Amino acid sequence: MDPRITGASRGDRLRLAAIGIWLALALAVIVVRYADAFRAPNDTARANAALDLVDRTLGGGNSVFPDQGLMVEARGRIPPDGAFQVAVGDAQPGWTDLTATFAETYARYFLLPRRAEPGADWILCLACDRAAFPGADAVWEGEAGLSLLRAEQ
Amino acid sequence: MSVRAITGLVVLNAGFAALGLSLLYALRGFSRWQDAARLAGLGHLLGVAAFGVVWTELLVLGVPFNGRGIVATLVLGIAGACVAGRLLGRPVPRLARGPGLTTLALLVTAAGVALVGLLLEAFFRAARLQSLQASNAWAFWVPKAKAVYFFEGLDEQVFTVSAGPTYPPLLPIVDAAAFHAMGSVDVVTLHLQFWFLLVGAVAALAGLLYRHVPAWLLWPSLLVVLVVPRFGERLLTPQADVLVDVFFVLAALLVALWLDDRQGWRLAAAAVLLAGATLTKREGLLFAAVVVGAALVASWRTRRRDWPLLGAVALVAVAAAVPWRLWYRARDVSGEAPGDLGLGVGADRTVDALRLSLDVLFETSLWSVVPFLFLLALAAGLAWGDRRLGAYFAIVLGAAFLGGAWVTYSYADIPITANEALNPIVRYTGALVLLAAAAMPLLLASAWRHGRGSERP
Repeated sequence: MDPRITGASRGDRLRLAAIGIWLALALAVIVVRYADAFRAPNDTARANAALDLVDRTLGGGNSVFPDQGLMVEARGRIPPDGAFQVAVGDAQPGWTDLTATFAETYARYFLLPRRAEPGADWILCLACDRAAFPGADAVWEGEAGLSLLRAEQ
Repeated sequence: MSVRAITGLVVLNAGFAALGLSLLYALRGFSRWQDAARLAGLGHLLGVAAFGVVWTELLVLGVPFNGRGIVATLVLGIAGACVAGRLLGRPVPRLARGPGLTTLALLVTAAGVALVGLLLEAFFRAARLQSLQASNAWAFWVPKAKAVYFFEGLDEQVFTVSAGPTYPPLLPIVDAAAFHAMGSVDVVTLHLQFWFLLVGAVAALAGLLYRHVPAWLLWPSLLVVLVVPRFGERLLTPQADVLVDVFFVLAALLVALWLDDRQGWRLAAAAVLLAGATLTKREGLLFAAVVVGAALVASWRTRRRDWPLLGAVALVAVAAAVPWRLWYRARDVSGEAPGDLGLGVGADRTVDALRLSLDVLFETSLWSVVPFLFLLALAAGLAWGDRRLGAYFAIVLGAAFLGGAWVTYSYADIPITANEALNPIVRYTGALVLLAAAAMPLLLASAWRHGRGSERP
């Protein structure tokens, strides 16, 4: 249409076209993406609800420790004002890439307010050299070389 | 994971919102209760920032952090701000009808609220029973929060031995307050605290923009950003990335609106948010510099009047950041910034870092086409709208983008990769995409009004 008739200059048409294109693109993205964006959290909610309490409590620790028992036992046995140390030996079958690297980091998080201290009485032993802890007894032993030791008082 | 824990979080976040709204009352007053409701989201984030900044300084001074302290801070802050508001002559808000919406605006708003609300409700259910998976969360963010909760302060062992010892403590403080509100260290329900922050951020953007842009630009902008593949539930990860981004985006928006109407309360609120950003993540300082720097350029013509005000904003942000930096330096912790600020890095790495930032920004599998939409809106704003506003957002976007590239090239130990476990550039770029939600409607509304005088919706 003749711009002199509509009163719209070329610049105006360009302006309206740009805004129109933006709006069309934005609405198209919303139409395409909204269903997925809504489905994903629903799937997550279902998966989360299916987890048992220990899985949910450990979270990322499930990828670190091959046996959930170590963290559960440590939290149950070491008093809140107690201290622990983490001793890691050679990798064992069942360990993940994260086990040796992140065991202490995760234990520091999970067991707070229990503190990580060198020489502590409680030893989270991951296939460790038990001879390095003379007098320490295993109070719990699990799979993949994991155990909880306690040194003599 | 109990109803009691959720109720505690509701009360805590209502407290944050009440604190922020009281500050807004002192700063600007509310003539109508509807105005307070419209700005409740901004009030929530402002309350979180103010609470976090105050408690960071108190913890540096050695004041113990506990339930009584949390309640006292909120009650004293709310009462003090309300009294200050009355002394400043702010009127008591009343119930009164405001300007009505057109039928179209009403329909679009209803659809927008419904679609955003549905999405947020789905996020709530996802967060409700979410286990703590994010490695940075259990490696240092949550341990620091647990330390603040159990030891009532900045425990030296946890804060100096954990990864990221220079990362500021605002988020751990907010998390620790959430633990107190929940009644235990419930790291599962903690995800809902981040849901509240997200709801606050969405409400803040909508509430701030509502009077400045048409509904048909506001809600598509919010929705298109919320549905990008990279966001979704990741917005609820208990890390500081999203919170620092939200502080940055809201401050940038407030300053953009201030450039338009020069209402001083916007700058004051932006200062509090930027102070919060500097104490949330290290790049908060960078974001604060970006916002203030862009505003300095955009207000060049009125520099005699405006620059002292912007200088005050910068001063507040920096002053808030200093005590924490003194605390960790006194404990021989360093490494917040590269020693030579990256000046000694070769040109190859600089180019590679820029290319990586560009690749990540325009990666459609992460952000869909939102960066392209942002650029289109920017071009429209610069071509047909308020050029000062366009220039401001162009500088904010450009400088923040270059800041991301600088982070990569200046830390020689960060590999040039989009792998999130090795390089933070993807998480960092989220700030630019969130910025789009605030900037796009303003820029397009400015271009839209060009041919229609200066009428406001």
